[in-house]
Amino acid sequence: MKMVLILLAGALAAFGQQGFDFKVLDKLGANATESANITLDGNTLKLATAFLGDKDVKGIVANLKGVYIRSYEFAKSGQYKEADLTPLRDYVKSRQWSKIVDVKEADETSEIYLLPISGDQIGGLVIISAEPKEVSIVFIEGTLRTSDIAKLGGNLGIPEIDLPREGRKPGKKE
Amino acid sequence: MSFEDDLRSALRREPAPEGFAARVLANANAGPGKVIPFWRRPTTFALAAALAMAAVIPAGVSQYRERQRGIEARDQLVQALAFTRVQLQQARGRVQHVSETVAQNAIRRKL
Repeated sequence: MKMVLILLAGALAAFGQQGFDFKVLDKLGANATESANITLDGNTLKLATAFLGDKDVKGIVANLKGVYIRSYEFAKSGQYKEADLTPLRDYVKSRQWSKIVDVKEADETSEIYLLPISGDQIGGLVIISAEPKEVSIVFIEGTLRTSDIAKLGGNLGIPEIDLPREGRKPGKKE
Repeated sequence: MSFEDDLRSALRREPAPEGFAARVLANANAGPGKVIPFWRRPTTFALAAALAMAAVIPAGVSQYRERQRGIEARDQLVQALAFTRVQLQQARGRVQHVSETVAQNAIRRKL
């Protein structure tokens, strides 16, 4: 019996450590006319970092474990449910991320969450931006300094680039 | 001449040329001819070259693919960081706008 309890506790702990499953956000883009998905896990990030020229960007990216982008555009408003963002919000709440920005302006919202670690270090950054015809999510996992966030918000030698979006017919699922 | 005479003439015994037996004996005593070592044979060189190519080409192809994967990942990372910047700037803009609106409304109420 003890053994079973130990195994169960271990399994629960392992489950608790798992990252966010982005598949749950697929529903969000079910009716999108255009979408952009970027998934860079730890190994891919290491590989990408080796080809980066800018030292500042390299410094920021060096300790990241994952970078995930989901962005969907819709032909009409009301084509996604606000509730489809609930799993992500629940995830960050359950992991005790701090909501540092929560702006609601007309029918547009911006939320920024940080995972505090210690001092000026954070364990991740999540941005949720929702408009009637567009919803975007940025999920960055890994150690960052708060000053890195300011750098990311600036130019930092990153060129102006539009996300390559895949066009899809409304209603067509991926 | 008849056919039989022709046949007889063709099959007649002839003595071996002079010194033939001596030459045969001399060759027999000299042993086998000059042997080329295995590692100097042209076929060995060809085989070695083929093996080297077989080892080098896949390694080169793998290295090329890894490089392509790296460049693709880097491009995606730069796109992701650029998108993050846009989202941060957008959030900052919204915060500023809302703060200004709230402040203006407060001033209006006081006036």
